[in-house]
Amino acid sequence: MSSITAPSPTVDPTGPMVPVARSRRRTELIMLVFAVAVTVFAFANVGFSLKGKLPSGIVEYMAPYIVMVLIAHLAMRRFAPWADPLLLPLAALLNGLGLVMTYRLAAQGNLLTAPLSSSATMIQVIYSALGIGCFVAVLVLIREPRVLQRYTYTLGAIGILLLALPALLPASISEVAGAKIQIRLGSFTIQPEEFAKLALAISFAGYLVAKRDVLALAGRRVLGIDLPRARDLGPILAVWAVSLLLLVFESDIGTSAVFMGLFVATLYIATSRTSWLLLGFVMFVVGAFAASKLFAHVGERFDIWLHPFAGQNPSHNAYQLVQGLYGMASGGLLGKGLGGGQPYITPLVQSDLVISAFGEELGLAGLMAILLIYGLIVQRGLRTAMLVKDPFSKLLAGGLSFMLALQVFVIVGGVTRLIPLTGITTPFLSQGGSSLVASWILIALLARLSDTARRPPPRPIQEEGLTQVVTLK
Amino acid sequence: MNRALRRISIAILVMFVLLLINVNYLQGFEPASLTSKPGNSRAFYAAQNQYQRGSIVTSDGVTIAASKLSTDSNDSIKYQRYYPLGPEYAPVTGYDTLYSQTGIEGAENSLLSGNDSALDVRKVIDLITGKTTKGATVEVTINSAAQAAAYNALAAGGKPGAVVALNPKTGAILAMASYPSYDPNLLAVHDGNQLIKNDNELLADKTQPLLNRALQATYPPGSTFKIVTSSALLTQSPSTTINTKFYSPTQLTLPQTDHVLTNDLGETCGDGSGQVPLITAFAQSCDTTFAKIGMDLGAPALNAMAGKFGMNNPSLTVPLGVAPSNYVIPPSEADTAFSAIGQFSDTVTPLQEAMFAAAIANGGTLMKPYLVQQVIASDASTVQTTPQSVLSRPVSPSVASSVGQMMRAVVQDPNGTAFGFNAQNEGGLVIAGKTGTAETGTVTGLDDAVFTAFAPYANPDIAVGVIIQGGGYGASAAAPIAVKVIQAYLNTLRNQ
Repeated sequence: MSSITAPSPTVDPTGPMVPVARSRRRTELIMLVFAVAVTVFAFANVGFSLKGKLPSGIVEYMAPYIVMVLIAHLAMRRFAPWADPLLLPLAALLNGLGLVMTYRLAAQGNLLTAPLSSSATMIQVIYSALGIGCFVAVLVLIREPRVLQRYTYTLGAIGILLLALPALLPASISEVAGAKIQIRLGSFTIQPEEFAKLALAISFAGYLVAKRDVLALAGRRVLGIDLPRARDLGPILAVWAVSLLLLVFESDIGTSAVFMGLFVATLYIATSRTSWLLLGFVMFVVGAFAASKLFAHVGERFDIWLHPFAGQNPSHNAYQLVQGLYGMASGGLLGKGLGGGQPYITPLVQSDLVISAFGEELGLAGLMAILLIYGLIVQRGLRTAMLVKDPFSKLLAGGLSFMLALQVFVIVGGVTRLIPLTGITTPFLSQGGSSLVASWILIALLARLSDTARRPPPRPIQEEGLTQVVTLK
Repeated sequence: MNRALRRISIAILVMFVLLLINVNYLQGFEPASLTSKPGNSRAFYAAQNQYQRGSIVTSDGVTIAASKLSTDSNDSIKYQRYYPLGPEYAPVTGYDTLYSQTGIEGAENSLLSGNDSALDVRKVIDLITGKTTKGATVEVTINSAAQAAAYNALAAGGKPGAVVALNPKTGAILAMASYPSYDPNLLAVHDGNQLIKNDNELLADKTQPLLNRALQATYPPGSTFKIVTSSALLTQSPSTTINTKFYSPTQLTLPQTDHVLTNDLGETCGDGSGQVPLITAFAQSCDTTFAKIGMDLGAPALNAMAGKFGMNNPSLTVPLGVAPSNYVIPPSEADTAFSAIGQFSDTVTPLQEAMFAAAIANGGTLMKPYLVQQVIASDASTVQTTPQSVLSRPVSPSVASSVGQMMRAVVQDPNGTAFGFNAQNEGGLVIAGKTGTAETGTVTGLDDAVFTAFAPYANPDIAVGVIIQGGGYGASAAAPIAVKVIQAYLNTLRNQ
């Protein structure tokens, strides 16, 4: 618990009693150099492991990455000088590792399916540029997080529309691997749900901050739990219904869980009412269980999770999960080293199961480090939520942090067979543009919120020396 | 709201702790059990491609399989297997695909890939001396000249069939060719889709190129089975000699049937007296004579002798698996008559044909056939050598000598079925053999041509079995191939 709820910055045992606010941009730069160094070293490592020499694309791929990260840092200095100094370096490190893994998987192909195209790494670099571009744009355009509250209903409508869009479109342009989650325009695809999650996080925060007093009212008390009033159940039922529709029409259990979890967590932060948490959790579990009985594709996920090695599963339905597990098993404690494993055996290892590729090549040590990087980002977000004064910002920071944590939990838990595997992206690491851009926007929002939270209050107009301090007894 | 945020923080902390515990369990405790799962190919691929795979070479130093660095920069596998002589040696080498191995590639896989425990000490030495560990080289017993003669002769004939040549004194397999064959390079490709496509094409090919006919296909032996019938006769009654006369009618009515057995074209055997010396009946391959002898000996005696020659043995390996050659005890006397002349349900592999001649050539002692001469580690030390061993002693030296004389008559006697193929005894070479022309029961196709032989007669160095499916007469289709293989091999011995 202590790692999440870090000591309040007002208590600094070594410093003076009155805290001197520091922007800490220098810390950010040093950590950023560290993140870039790890990435470049890892990139070189792949080349030495696979070809015995520096990879030919090291300048081509790493130079744009370094430039982009520096631009992001300069944008932070200019537009969010008081933002948390760890957010950008942590995100840059994850993005860098994602580039390294894309390069590694493109350099050595799958045996049975075509290898990633040789341009995959460059495309991922371009997506990174797009992501960091959006990061800078958010910092420039949104100078004060509270302005977002104005767009509560607009963003809510956009979010729902983005979620529903793939289900409404014909399967030929929206289906991928059995789930209807994308929009295909020629060779270019967008996964609208990645952006829908952000829009809805803002919308939920705006809505709940307005309605929280009503929703906090208690209804009947059953078994020591204050149940909400029946008339207040509307919003949660609506979100529940949408999440179940997602589950059924888009076969997208992971997003459905993240979506529902986001709403329930934001609702709980807004009202401090445990009953909402329990209610949401029970509703999701009941819905998912019913869906697993009613719809074959949902039930199949549970079967794969519970019995991956039974019968035909290892070579059919559970092939992907089982191959991912084999990969992580072969990695063991320290991994096979970048370029030393066989992650390409696992289908879709570049997207949904990218964490198994890291487990195979970087081992338990590397995987724990990656989980801790995510944990640190979430912790910085929660800390921001604690610090920030404005209730909307508090809800938004808490909601975004929880959403990121839940997404990591759902995908990493799925790949490691803690929970059923559902196809959602691993933030920053999965190959693909939508997830990367959305993740950078999320980091930008957290940076903006933390900048607001840590910004020192305006200095008093008067000179301190001229002011007489009178103590009244 | 901070109280709720703290609680949410605790929930998130629990989520991350669960993930960390689960990952620790998965990668810290589970690897052993996951690695040993039957469907886990990672360990297999890793082991398979960890070291440069050893070569396969013939006894006279021709490389027939080797691994080189893959030239494809996109290749996930470092070394590319290749087969310089492709189809000619495919029955010997087999193939090494991404997923499976056959032939010597399969039988000696652990040594070739460098993962056999026999190589452990050398790996430690490599580690200390800083040398790169490689797989061991497998030296097969094949003689490249004999193999080339066998494959080229089969290909020139264009009919499906196989040739096996043995060193009768040791059991070493000198040649093993099958036709039609395939190019194992097609199955060594690393592109999974290409591999599946090539494999499906070979599997769909009606000529069955993937079938190693030398070891895996069985055919009726026809009259070559008279070696077994004669051996049983001479063993059972020691007073019988090759000159003892036997009943030899032009027509033999089989008991309990109205079926009349004649010689091949209804011809008369010997001088027409109805009684011919055994050697004449053998050289002219008189079916009526041997059918009668077989009925008199009885099926159990024939069965016992067939077994001693190596038939009815499902567990023979060289170390490649060999399909059993079968003698099935017939249900009636009439069928026993057919079984004594290599018909009814008798079936043999081309290897078994070579073993008939090899046992006779080696004085009645049948050496166990083997294909691997020795295995040599990358530091040139010998890892293992195949010991010579006796498989069985089907006949005594005197009976072997008698059968050998009769086989010499087949080729040397002007009335012998294979007279003319080496009648001039070029270079003093005397070949002894037995032809077979097996009715396959198919109405349209020609009979299977069979020939088994050994040479030189006085001191045999090679025994050959040839079966040509639909080749017609054993003498015309199979014997010339055997002679070419014998000459090619003996030439290399002479030039040494």
